[in-house]
Amino acid sequence: MLFGPNGQGKTNFLEACYLLCTLRPLRAQKLAELVRIDAEEAHLRGALSVDAGEREIEVTVRDGGRSARLDGKAVRDPDELFGGIAVVAFTPDDLWLVKGSPDGRRRLLDRAVQNQMPVHLADSREYLRALKARNQLLREGARDDLRDAFDVPLSRFGARIRLRRERLLDALRGPAARAFAQITREDASLSLVYQASGRESDGLGAEAALRGEGELEARLLSALARRLPRDRDRGYTSVGPHADDLAVSLGEQPARTFASQGQARAAILAFKIAEIEGLRAAQGRAPLLLLDDVSSELDPERNAFLMTYLGAIGGQVVLTTTDPRLVSQAAAQAMFQRVWKGRIEHVSAP
Amino acid sequence: MRLCSVCCNLTAQDPCAVCRDSQRDDKIICVVESVPDLLAVERTREFRGRYHVLHGALSPLDGVGPDQLKLKELLERLSGGAVQEVIVATDPTVEGEATALYLARLVKPLGVRVTRIAQGVPMGGNLEYADHVTLARALAGRREV
Repeated sequence: MLFGPNGQGKTNFLEACYLLCTLRPLRAQKLAELVRIDAEEAHLRGALSVDAGEREIEVTVRDGGRSARLDGKAVRDPDELFGGIAVVAFTPDDLWLVKGSPDGRRRLLDRAVQNQMPVHLADSREYLRALKARNQLLREGARDDLRDAFDVPLSRFGARIRLRRERLLDALRGPAARAFAQITREDASLSLVYQASGRESDGLGAEAALRGEGELEARLLSALARRLPRDRDRGYTSVGPHADDLAVSLGEQPARTFASQGQARAAILAFKIAEIEGLRAAQGRAPLLLLDDVSSELDPERNAFLMTYLGAIGGQVVLTTTDPRLVSQAAAQAMFQRVWKGRIEHVSAP
Repeated sequence: MRLCSVCCNLTAQDPCAVCRDSQRDDKIICVVESVPDLLAVERTREFRGRYHVLHGALSPLDGVGPDQLKLKELLERLSGGAVQEVIVATDPTVEGEATALYLARLVKPLGVRVTRIAQGVPMGGNLEYADHVTLARALAGRREV
């Protein structure tokens, strides 16, 4: 448990943990934000005990990109780090996911997929490259045969990304609804539905995902062709997993507009708990949990639920707080670290 | 060093050694992105046809379009009618794949067969040592036996 006043570096430590395990930033939008202003690069080194032994991971962030080494050997993707380490993080940003923009909900899904399937990150990166290339060609008014050449990989990676998200949701839906009921003790049931971009005429609705990757890919490809005039006008690709959303509802009502702030937060908490339990079942151990000052944002009852859950989880939990009393229930076996002016100091009690 | 006037390989003497070799098969051309890629294919000793080096792959974000690649030179070679097959050995990246698709569209109307090298798990290696990305993509690209 890391405690200390705001602005001392607590979140920085979680950011470092997340980057070491997943090779992507936690709260920062871009890797470049992780480098101190005026500095050329950020360098991180961490030792992780996983399964058999201890491994050393090093990450360097420079010029907006990152390079990583595992036991001194260069690695490109996190799946090369012992097949990936599952990390579930919970930050104050997450509390806004239900009410916020689709972008955050897509990230929520993709991070959960990556935990189960580390190769998802590499595929997402390829998808993004194809998407950016296509958008650039749309803006340049490039010839059709040139743009067509990028539509093919775009729809192939697009179909794969969407199906993985849908499979994840299928697995999480039930457990998340049960966790939500436990947290809120309300009648309204939580429902999570994948919402594909495009209109009905694009043929990308829920039914498309049931027809397999090949068919979905073909439908994405023809939706791209059908939307070409519009996409060309806007200089932007209007359909595909980058424009999809996760629809969260309570009963019949869309949570985005109808949920109370407390319900919206409980929905995300339920999603994370379902994710943790899914990982525990699949991997035989609890994921590494990172919680960034979440207790001060939850009402006492939901906080107590979370702390009891964490106390019993049997995995490693790193949490930060400005007020150690809020997390005492989870802290029976805790090591206390005081964070002050960028330094971390071990103390016997807060 | 300069570019070979036939295949765009780097060479001291024009045409390059591969193009001068009369033992090689003129009916088949392997298209690669770069000279190191040509050398890699050559090291296999599996391929006895000709080469063509594109010097890049289509990458709109880096300002690389068809005109920046040695495509015109390839089409000129194909117009002779002697070539029956073009093997596209571009990288298994979005850019490499787009280049292969673009090229196929240009070349097929000339009556030339266009093939693409297979992607997957390296032979001779154990499945358990293949990296996750390669293995996952090999699974996605599985074929009937």
